[in-house]
Amino acid sequence: MSSVLCPEIPASGFSFENCRRNTLLETKGFAVPKATKTGTTIVGITYKDGVILGADTRATEDTTVADKNCEKIHYLAPNMYCCGAGTAADTEMTTQMISSQLELHKLYTNRVCRVATANQMLKQYLFRYQGYIGAALILGGVDVDGPHLYQIYPHGSSDQLPYVTMGSGSLAAMAVFEAGWKRDLEEEDGIKLVRDAIAAGVFNDLGSGSNIDVCIIRKGSTDL
Amino acid sequence: MRTICIGCVRISQNNLELGVPPFANPSENLARFNKDENGREIKIKFDHGTTTLGFMYQGGVVLAVDSRATGGQFIGSQTMKKIVEINDFLLGTLAGGAADCVYWDRVLAKQCRMYELRNRERISVAAASKLMANMVYNYKGMGLSMGMMLAGWDKRGPQLYYVDSEGTRTPGKVFSVGSGSIYAFGVLDSGYKWDLKDEEAYDLGRRSIYHATHRDAYSGGIVRVYHMTANGWKHIDNNDCNDLHYKFQEEKEDLGKYNTIISYLCALF
Amino acid sequence: MVAMKGENCVSIAADRRFGIQAQTIATDFQKIFQMGPHLYVGLPGLATDTQTVMEKLRFRKNLYELKENRMMSPKVFSAMLSNMLYEKRFGPFFVEPVVAGLDPKTHEPFICNMDLIGCINLPNDFVVGGTASAQLYGMCEALWEPNLGPDDLFETTSQALLNAFDRDAISGWGATVYIIEKDKVTIRNLKTRMD
Repeated sequence: MSSVLCPEIPASGFSFENCRRNTLLETKGFAVPKATKTGTTIVGITYKDGVILGADTRATEDTTVADKNCEKIHYLAPNMYCCGAGTAADTEMTTQMISSQLELHKLYTNRVCRVATANQMLKQYLFRYQGYIGAALILGGVDVDGPHLYQIYPHGSSDQLPYVTMGSGSLAAMAVFEAGWKRDLEEEDGIKLVRDAIAAGVFNDLGSGSNIDVCIIRKGSTDL
Repeated sequence: MRTICIGCVRISQNNLELGVPPFANPSENLARFNKDENGREIKIKFDHGTTTLGFMYQGGVVLAVDSRATGGQFIGSQTMKKIVEINDFLLGTLAGGAADCVYWDRVLAKQCRMYELRNRERISVAAASKLMANMVYNYKGMGLSMGMMLAGWDKRGPQLYYVDSEGTRTPGKVFSVGSGSIYAFGVLDSGYKWDLKDEEAYDLGRRSIYHATHRDAYSGGIVRVYHMTANGWKHIDNNDCNDLHYKFQEEKEDLGKYNTIISYLCALF
Repeated sequence: MVAMKGENCVSIAADRRFGIQAQTIATDFQKIFQMGPHLYVGLPGLATDTQTVMEKLRFRKNLYELKENRMMSPKVFSAMLSNMLYEKRFGPFFVEPVVAGLDPKTHEPFICNMDLIGCINLPNDFVVGGTASAQLYGMCEALWEPNLGPDDLFETTSQALLNAFDRDAISGWGATVYIIEKDKVTIRNLKTRMD
């Protein structure tokens, strides 16, 4: 029994109750507002003692710059961060949700979470929604097995690679990595390489711009 | 037989013909270019949305128009001239695609002048409107968008015609054209009489346009009023809608006060 | 719809038009709602959703305040709204919310906006929303400066709003500006063009 004072607890997860109405409105010619996209360059590399993630800070709504300084490097766990490209709300909400699940997992197991665990959770979640959740992610972190770097596509596939780029500026950034990445880079050189890659994205892709965020994850410490 | 060619060469020689793509049946096939490869409509946003009106009364013809030009929701201009002075005895109003109207009005002005030079007398409004209707009829279905009124004074007296890009051409006493026309008609029809005095007629035109600009998002700016008399057209005045709004609101409040006093007096006796 | 940060104060302002495409139905429509002594939310978009979302928000906020026995801060309010909108990711409400307020404890200015599926944007100057947003971005980028006092903030907000309306066909017909300060909230209706 539900009442105003004791409302029924709604089922968790997405609600589809407006869908039919919205398609009808759309067919009748209602101009549907557009969601914010990141229009992004995000990159990640592994280096000698860890992982470096990088991202630009522009969020776009169609052709308008909606946010000049948004954070695209999301927190997952103390030893793990995640860059997001695609629909801004999707990357934000997906990482928040996985982050909370990882925290619970950590408390339950009393261990530092592995990056592989986060990767598996993310890809299973995204696969369940068949690409309709538009989140393209770069997951980086350090665990007992050392540094790991994954790229995860919106449809739920993932790759483990030594250096990755995603988003609309990914081609420009990848060109920089292909030219400059080496095994066992020093931290300073790694940061420089990531910075150059994002800068290439910013200069060559109109959807990317503004500032550059860099996040370094070493064993036992993180710098944003 | 008429050949279809890319019009640039032809246009420079004959401004009665627009450039038409080099394939058969452009009126059918042109429509296909309005969609992109994903089937989404390509929005060719050109200036649209208007309120114009014209009516005949004992003193001639009154034309009144707004001055807003919009491309989609964006206001491109608040000071557009939507009445074209074709010659001293002929006025045209614009509604629909601004470029279409302005271009074809210019061609019409040329045609009318040519007629005058050839025949040593002014063209009748009936003839001018027919010229216009025939010209745009050639492009029916190819995307021209215009709804215009032609007002004039010729041998047969004052005249008012409506011509549009569908090919309609009809004489009449009261017309209103454009997205705000329904609102304008509301005011116009309730206040219209044949025996209006000049000032009353101007005020009726002004009020009709003002009320249309208030309700219709795509009309606004300045209300321009013209009067066609036996001695040619007269430009009566331009009024900013903003000034009109607060003037009319004051009038309404004064009327309200007057009514309360009357009802108070009625109650007394 | 626009909200701006100032020195110890915030402003939020919107037009008063309610219309169906080109047709103006009413010119006294409220799009900004009070959610607390120092908390306001603007919900431009589809009118039915404006009201539905407002009622859902008010319900949830009241329940929170009764349960927790403390005021809801703008930050918490925005997170709540964001989650509410994201729940409907695949069948969204057509609103682009703007939140403006002062923190109930520290009285720190807070503004944010979201897209229709709840992606929060937290800048430290101004936020915009609704149909005239492109025009408002331009006006605000030109007029806004840091540390505006309440009176200057009112002037800046009003000018940005009025001049943006003049280039948007379906905004205008009156405007309301709220200036939110620590110990008072000033509400002013602006005299605008009515076409």
